[in-house]
Formats: sequence, C-alpha cells, structure tokens
Amino acid sequence: MNILIIEDEMRIARRLARMTAQYFEQQSAGIMLCDDLETGLKHLNQHPVNLLLLDLNLNGEDGFQVLEAMVARSFQTIIVSAYTEKAITAFAYGVLDFVPKPFDEERLFQAFGRLTAAPVLSENQLKFLAIRNSGLIRFIDVAEVTCIEAAGIYSELHLQNGTVALHDKSLDALERILPAKDFVRIHRSHIIRWAGAEKLIIGPGGKYAMQLKNGNLLPVGRSRYKALCERLKAT
Amino acid sequence: MLFLLSACSEPDIRYDASEARIAPPVNNSLYARVNIDLKEKHFTTPLGVKVHSFGAFEVFWDGTRLGQNGIPGTPTRAEAPGTETSYYQVPDALSGLGKHVVELKGTQVHLNEMGRSVMVKPESYLGLLRRPLIDLAFVNLMAGAFLIAAFYYVFLYLNSQAKTKTTLLFALICILFFALLVMEYIKFTIDIPYTRFYWRLSLVGWLTFAIAVLIPFYFIIHFKLPRPALLTALLASVLLFIYVFNYGHYDHTAHLYSLTWWISSVLVVIYACIKKRKGSLLVLQGLLLSMLISRYMYYDFSLYIAFTIILLCILYLQTNASRQLELAHRESQLLSSRLQLELVKKNIQPHFLRNTLTSLMDWIEETPAEGVKMIKALSGEFDLMMEMSEASLVPIRQEIDLCKRHLEVMQFRKEVNYVWTEEGVDETETIPPAVLLTLVENGITHNLPTENSLRFHLQFYRADGFKHYVLDCLGKSRPAGNTSGGNGFKYVKARLTESYRDNWQFEAACYDGGWRNQIQIGL
Repeated sequence: MNILIIEDEMRIARRLARMTAQYFEQQSAGIMLCDDLETGLKHLNQHPVNLLLLDLNLNGEDGFQVLEAMVARSFQTIIVSAYTEKAITAFAYGVLDFVPKPFDEERLFQAFGRLTAAPVLSENQLKFLAIRNSGLIRFIDVAEVTCIEAAGIYSELHLQNGTVALHDKSLDALERILPAKDFVRIHRSHIIRWAGAEKLIIGPGGKYAMQLKNGNLLPVGRSRYKALCERLKAT
Repeated sequence: MLFLLSACSEPDIRYDASEARIAPPVNNSLYARVNIDLKEKHFTTPLGVKVHSFGAFEVFWDGTRLGQNGIPGTPTRAEAPGTETSYYQVPDALSGLGKHVVELKGTQVHLNEMGRSVMVKPESYLGLLRRPLIDLAFVNLMAGAFLIAAFYYVFLYLNSQAKTKTTLLFALICILFFALLVMEYIKFTIDIPYTRFYWRLSLVGWLTFAIAVLIPFYFIIHFKLPRPALLTALLASVLLFIYVFNYGHYDHTAHLYSLTWWISSVLVVIYACIKKRKGSLLVLQGLLLSMLISRYMYYDFSLYIAFTIILLCILYLQTNASRQLELAHRESQLLSSRLQLELVKKNIQPHFLRNTLTSLMDWIEETPAEGVKMIKALSGEFDLMMEMSEASLVPIRQEIDLCKRHLEVMQFRKEVNYVWTEEGVDETETIPPAVLLTLVENGITHNLPTENSLRFHLQFYRADGFKHYVLDCLGKSRPAGNTSGGNGFKYVKARLTESYRDNWQFEAACYDGGWRNQIQIGL
C-alpha cells in the first residue's frame, strides 16, 4: 500500500501521516510526504501509488486542476481540505471522500474505510469520469455510461453512443465512487446501469445472466444473484 | 415674458429722420439739425424724443425749446457736459403728423476729434421712460443670478477638499459676467458725462475680452483638450488682433469678440463630442441655440441671453462634475468599509481558522502544553486585529507586533522557524493596518525556508522625499510562485490609496535570496 500525502502545512502533514500509518499498520504501508504540488506530481510519475491524500489549496494555489488530473489515475483520491465549499465539486469529479479540516482520527478512518467497504447507497455524487487519453484529460458525463467491464487492471466504459473508453481505475475502485443508486455490480467483471436492467435469466447449467433493455446478455455472479433479485422486485 | 412681449410688439410710430446736419464748430460751439417726418403715430400719450449726442446743449422742436442736457459753456463759464443720451417730452400741440425740425444748440468742448454723429429718435415719451425699466428688470435678474452663482462657487471652492480648478474658473466667469451686465446697463442708473462715455465702453470691451478668453478656456480644461495653454494663447492673440485692428469701434469689437469665443467654443465642444466627453453634446446644443437667438433678436440683449445659455450649460457641467466627486467620495467610503471587512475576515475566514484548528488539535493531542502556547499566540493575534480593525492608520509598532504574532501562529502550523528582524523603524510612524501582515502572509506562502528557517527583515528610512519601507523575505522563492500576488497585493494597494491617495508606490519582486516588498510613501 503506497500512500502519498500532499499537504503544505507540516504539522497537519505529520498528523495525517501518523494517523494513516496507524490505520494501515497491518498492510506495511509506504507513506510519502510532499509539501508542494511539483514534488508531489514528480513522485506520482516515478512511483506506484495506491492512495492520494490531497490538500486543495497549496501555497496559495488552487489544487483543483491537479485534482482533475488525479481522478483520471488508477489510485483513489481523498481530499483533506479547509475549503469545504469545494466538497460537492470534488465528489462530482470522483474523489473517494472529502475530509474537512479540522479532522480527527475517526473522520479520517471513516474515509479510509471506504477503500474497502461496500459503497453506501446514494452517497456519492459523481458526475464525471476523467479519462487519460494520450496525455490529455477528457471528462465523460456519468450519464453517458451504460455499463462497465473489467479489462485487466483497467476498466472499459461502454457509452451510449456505442463507443468504449478505457479508464485507469479498476472495476473495484470505480464501484466505490460510482453512485450506488444508479450503478450496480452484477459480476466481478461487470457493472451495469440499473435503469438498463430488464430481467434475470437462469441459463442452462445453472448460469445466471442479466438481460438488458438493449437486448444484451451479461453474466451475473452467483453470490450477487439473490441481492439483484430482491432489488428487481423492489423496483 | 415681459421682455419678449415688449420686444415683439408692433412699433407704434413710423417716421423718417434725416441725417443730422452739423454746423462746423466755431469755438467749440455745437449746432445740429435733424429733419423728422412723422408718418404714423398709434399712441395718444405725449410724444418724446431721444437724443444721442456729445456736448452740452439745448434741444428745440420746431423752434420751441424742449429742454437741455448739461450746461453749454460761455466765454465766462466752463461747459458742464451732458450725457450721451437724453430724453425730452414734446408738447402735444407740436406733435402732430408731418414735418418737424429738431435743433441742438450748445457747446462741445471735448472729444470733438471722435466725430461722433448726432441722432434723434421720436417715440412715445412713456415708452422712452418705460424701456430702461423693462431692460433693467431682465438684466438685474440675470446679473443677480450670476452674482449668487459666483459667490456660491467661490465658497464651494474654498470649502471643498478637492480644489477643482474649473470651479474657481466658473466663479470667475460668473463674476465677470455680472460685472459686464452692470457695466453695460449702468447708463440707465448713473448720469455719465459724455466726456467719460468711452470709459464705460472700454470697460465693457475688456470685460467681454476676458469672458471671450475664459469661456473657451473653461471648455478646454473641462473637456481635457491637449495643450490647453497653447490653445488659449492662440485664442487670446486672435482677440488682441481684433482689438488692435478695430481700435475705437467699440460695439463692432465686442461683436467680433463674441463671434470669436463662440466659434472657438464650438470647435472645442465638437472636439469633445468626437472624443465622446460627457455633457459635450448638451453644450453643443446650447451653443447652437445661443447663436440662433443672437441672430434673430435685438443685438444688445441677445448677446446676454446667449451668454446666459452658455453659462447655464457650464453650470450643468459643474453640477455634473460635483456629482462625479460625490460618487468618488461614496466610492471611497465604500472602499474603506470594504477594507475594514477584509481585515476582519483575514483572521476569521474559515480556511485560516480550519487549518489553524487542525494544527491545534494535533498539538493538544501530542503536547498539550505547546497547544496552550499556540492558543495564546492565536488569541494575541486576534486581539491586535480587533484593536486595529476600524482604524485606517495604526502605529507601526502595533503592525509589527501583529506580524510577529502571526509568525508565531504560523510557526506552530508550519513548524518552520520564522525570524523577524528590523532596522531604522521610527516609532512615531503610522501605516495602514495589516499591510505588512499581508506581505508577511505572502512571504510565508511563496517562499521555501532554508534550513527550516525563514527570515523577515524590515527596514525603514527616509530618502528622496519618500518614506521607504522595505520588507525582505529571505528564503528561496517557490519556482511556481505567483508573482502578481493576487488579492493580497490588491488589499495592500487599496489600503495605501485609502490613506495616501496616489502619493505612494508599491513594488514586490523576487531577487536572488528571497522576495522584496518596497513601499514608498510621499513625505
């Protein structure tokens, strides 16, 4: 577990580092502190990172552009900032959590908990998915996405216009930031838009599948069948 | 209205008057004869005659003596000069239609060289007496208005802080115009011996000359034309040329003066219109209207009406200008209260508080004793800030204390060793609040500490008519440092403007070894 902390106030940075080390003590986490964006970005390009803790206002500079670049990457980003008014926008761009300053251990741990826990229904306000495409960042409106398929450590976003975009985050990582009321994981390799689900089909050999409204048939994980059944009934 | 009615009414008499036949003077004697043919007469009140002539003489109508003007001289007695204009009543028995002879008999000791002609105008005697009353009523009205305006604008100039040149100029024009009106019509109230006749005319001439220079000059200044001195000199030389060229032709000269200032004013205002200066279009309309009036109305009067219209235009410009001042004043008040708010916000703004509180939490959790020290430093900064929040200038020592307190707080937050040093600080000096603090904040944000230490060094000295504050932040400038300084510098500049108007300079630049802020305030 490699964790990068970008924070310009040393006291706060050390506090974050201390609490992070405590939370991840079982996983032998490598924690790196950077006090400005430049060294932070340099570090990101040279070392693998799994989690980024980012302050939005560094040395008087707006960290939002950096955020836009960060959310396209494979790692999750947690914002730790005094600029609480930016929380909604940060969520829209797909951060895992926004921890307002001043924070205590409990609130920070809650954010870390999201890395592994199941997504909370209707909590995430993600609006855009950032795609890295030959050095440029492109934003895709979440409403455009019909379903998502795992592609190794990446994910393929299937869009309404029939095209496919590749996202750096894994399907697991995306599941944590996607709005749970709109998207549902039906298989270890598939997330679908719930509005596009038609019915569940039990195929030959006891294989489950989800028939989509567009006629496509996608596999359903055995462990997820029951929950999906109930959710279909409820709607 | 009265004036317009009297000006527009039909003439109530029709006559032919011959040129005056003047006998060649012998020993300063004056004899003039005018033949008058009365053709129509529409009044039953007594007939009168108005006589324009120099000298002291008796007036005879068909051989009957009507009266006298001054006392003609005799070999034993010096002449008592009459006035240039005199009025006589004609007995009813002699005022029938037909041919009449008017004779002037007396002496003219002075001003024979002027060759002044003699003129006789028959008119209703009542009308002759009433005419000056009507004229004066109107003229006094105008003169009074401009006298008041002149006083008002002089007082306004004396009492206003921003001594606007045009205000005084306008007052001057008003008083000159008042003097001109008084001079022009003083003939109705005072008997001026014919020997002094030209005194009045030259005075009127010079007053007109001054006004003819000042009105275009006012427009030049008000509409901010380039090279005002040159343009005014040009105008003055044209007027001087007219004066010299037409020397002795008083009325004609005054007329040319008027034409000159009118044309030059129009040129100036057209320029202002092209440059879209505020109010120029209105003044142009006023100028055109004044020309129309002077073309279609009796000359003597129309000139003053035209003048009045122009002065009203200028009055409008004046009030317009004072409105601008009012707006500027309100703006500055607004700025002051905005700056006060800005100052208060500096320390209670959520971002500052949230970051400070986060560090504070950590200190309390880790080393509570240090946490207490941090709280003390923070409350110290708050105290100072509240003390100065409503002032626009604070003692320099107070400002330095504020900076030191802030550095203390930031030391707890950033865990960088901040050092404050100073030299030459004059304890009697004042400075707008939180100006140095803002520069210190910028220094903290934009400079990297060397060996975990960042030094601020303040110097004060007086030189070249300025007070110099130099605040150095001795560290390594951040490579991506934002050099414009953003809102912080805006605050500093606004505060300096609030207290010193434009008598200050501010520079901030990165140099090898840190960041230097320089404030210069005029002594």
